[in-house]
Amino acid sequence: MTQVEKRESADIPVSLSPQESAPKRSRYLVAGVVTLVLALLPLARPLIGQPFNYVMQMGIVGLMWITMSSSWNLIGGFTGYISLGHNVFFGIGGYATGLFLLYFGWSPFLTAPVAGLIAVAFGFLFGLITLRTRGPSFIISTIALLLMTGLIFDNWDLVGGSNGLSLPLPPFAIEVLKIPFYYAMLVIAIGSVYLGYRVAHSKFGLALRAIAQDETKAEVAGIDTRRMKIAAFSISAFFVGAAGAIWGYSLSYLRPTVFFIIGVAAQMVLMVIIGGRGTVAGPAVGAILLVSLNEISVSQFGSSEINIVITGVILLIVLLFFPLGVVGTLREKGRLPSFLDWD
Amino acid sequence: MAAGNRGRRGIVTHLLQVVILGLLLGGVYALMASGLTLMFGVMRIVNLAHGVFIIAACFVAFFLFQGPGWDPFVSIAVTMPLFFLIGVGVYTALFPRIEGSARFTEMTVLLTFALALIAEGLLSYFFTGTVRSTDPSYKTDAILLGDFFIPTAQLLSSITSLVLLIGLWAFLYFTRTGYAVRATMQNRTAAQIVGVNVRRVSTISFGIGMALAGASGSLISFLFPFFPARHWQWIAILLALIVLGGLGSLKGAVVGALLLAVAAGIVSDQFGPTWSPMTFFGALFLILLIRPQGLFGHQARVG
Repeated sequence: MTQVEKRESADIPVSLSPQESAPKRSRYLVAGVVTLVLALLPLARPLIGQPFNYVMQMGIVGLMWITMSSSWNLIGGFTGYISLGHNVFFGIGGYATGLFLLYFGWSPFLTAPVAGLIAVAFGFLFGLITLRTRGPSFIISTIALLLMTGLIFDNWDLVGGSNGLSLPLPPFAIEVLKIPFYYAMLVIAIGSVYLGYRVAHSKFGLALRAIAQDETKAEVAGIDTRRMKIAAFSISAFFVGAAGAIWGYSLSYLRPTVFFIIGVAAQMVLMVIIGGRGTVAGPAVGAILLVSLNEISVSQFGSSEINIVITGVILLIVLLFFPLGVVGTLREKGRLPSFLDWD
Repeated sequence: MAAGNRGRRGIVTHLLQVVILGLLLGGVYALMASGLTLMFGVMRIVNLAHGVFIIAACFVAFFLFQGPGWDPFVSIAVTMPLFFLIGVGVYTALFPRIEGSARFTEMTVLLTFALALIAEGLLSYFFTGTVRSTDPSYKTDAILLGDFFIPTAQLLSSITSLVLLIGLWAFLYFTRTGYAVRATMQNRTAAQIVGVNVRRVSTISFGIGMALAGASGSLISFLFPFFPARHWQWIAILLALIVLGGLGSLKGAVVGALLLAVAAGIVSDQFGPTWSPMTFFGALFLILLIRPQGLFGHQARVG
C-alpha cells in the first residue's frame, strides 16, 4: 500500500509497482461475497417477484459492460493504445454465433467461446497491419475499421444486410428466459475481470505498462513492443466477442446498428476513463456507474440525443479534471477502499 | 451518353469522365483535409470533431439559405469567420489545460471525441436527424465540354476550394505569422527558442483549421446530403486521407485527397456508390502496410 501511494503522478494512471505489500485479506472476502450474491441472485426470484425480469436484464447489461470495459482496458488502459473500434469484435462475436445457430443449429451458449476466438483472430490480423506504427495512426485506423465493418455488414446479404438476422429464441419459459443469459454473461464478466487481474500482475502486464509510459525506452529495454501490442489487442477481443454472442442471442435479432455504432465504443472508452485507466477494478466501477447513469438519464429524458450529449460532457469533465478516474483519484488521496485495490 | 457507346473510345471517355468528377470532388476533400492536417502539423492535435463542425457549418449554410436566401457560396463569408472564432474559443478553452502532458496527442483525441459527441447530440436534438441539403438553382446544372459533362456546382466548389487553398498557401509562405506557423510545424521547441509565440500560433492555426471546416461545410451543404450522425463517416474518410498523405503534411493532404477522390469515383462507378467509402479505408490499411508514415510523412513520429 505504502509503495503504491508514493507513485509519481504521471499523466496516465500507470503503476509500475504491482508488488504490493501484503494484500489485505478483506478484499478477497468482498470479492467472494459479491460473486456469490451475483451467482445466487436468480434463486431469489420468488423474493423479487414481478420486477425479476427487469433485474435480470439489468444484470445482463451491467455484466456485459463490465466485460467490455475490462477488455478494452487491456489495450486502452494498460498499453495506452486507444481503440475506438473495439465494438467490431462485439459485432463479429454476435454475428458468428448467430450464423452458427441459423445454419447449424448450434446454441450460442456453447459457441460463445468460439466467437471469442474468431474475434481474437480478427484482432490479430488487424493488429498485424495497424500496430506497426505508434501513436495516432492506430487510433485513426480503429475508427476506419469500425466504419468499414459497419459498411460491410450493412450490405452483406449473408448476414441480412441492414435488416439483420432474426434468431429463434431459446426454448425456455418466458419467466426464466433471462436466467441462462444472465449466467453466461456472469461467467464472461468474471473471466474478463480475472484476465485483467492476471495481466496486471504478470510480466506481460509490466511490459504493456512500460509501452504505455515510454515505448522507445520499453523497446530499448528489450521488450518486443510490437508483439506485446498485438498480443494485448487480440487478447482484449476475446471476451468482447463472447459478450457479443450472448448479447445478440438475448436480443434475438442481429442488426448492424446494434453493434457497429460508435456510441458503443464511446461507452467503453468512457467507462474505463471514469473508473480509472490501467487499473483492475476501475473498468468495472466505471461500467456500473455509467449503466446506472444511463438508466436514469433514459428514464428522465427518454431521448438518445440527450444521452449522447451527457456521455460527451462527462467524458470531457473527467478528462480535464479527474484524468485518473475514480480508482486512480481515490488511490492518489489514499482513500481507496481495499476491496477496489487489485493493482 | 458516353457509357452507352460500346466502343473502346467510349470506355476511355467514360473513365475520363469519372476521373474529372473525382478531381472536382477531390478539391473539396483537400479543403477539409488541409484544416485537419494543419492542426496535427502545428499542434499534434488529432481533431475528431472536425467532421461534426463541418456538419454544423452545413446547418449554418442551410439556414442562411432557407431564411434570408443566401447562396451557399455567399454563406462562406459567414461560416469562415464564425468557425474561426469557434476554433479560437475551443482551443483556448481546452488545449492549454493539457499542454505539456506526456501523451498530448492521445488526450486531444479523447477530448475532441467528447466534443464530437456533445456537438452531434446537440445538433440531433435541435435539428433532428433528417437528411437535408441546400438546393441552389445551379445544383443540377452541368456544362457540356465535348464528350464530357461537368456539373456546375462541383466545378464552382472545387474552384472555391482551390482559391482558399491558394490563400492558405500564400498565408503560410508570405506572411510573418505564416512563417511562424511553418516554423512551429517543423520544430516546436526551436520555434519557441527563436521567439515564436507558440501559443498564439497554435490558437491561430486551430482557428484557421476550423475556418476551413466552416468553408467546406458551406460547400458540402449542396454537394452531399447531410445529417448530424453523418460526421463519423466524414471524419473517418478525412483521417484516412491525411494518414495516407502523411500526418501533418499539407502537400500530402492535397495529393491524398485528389488521388483518393478519383479512386473513390472509380470504385463508385464500378461497384456502386455504397462502396466508395471503402476506397478510403482500404487505402488507409494499404498505406499502413507498405509505408506507415504516409506518402509525404516523416519517419516514426511519436505522438
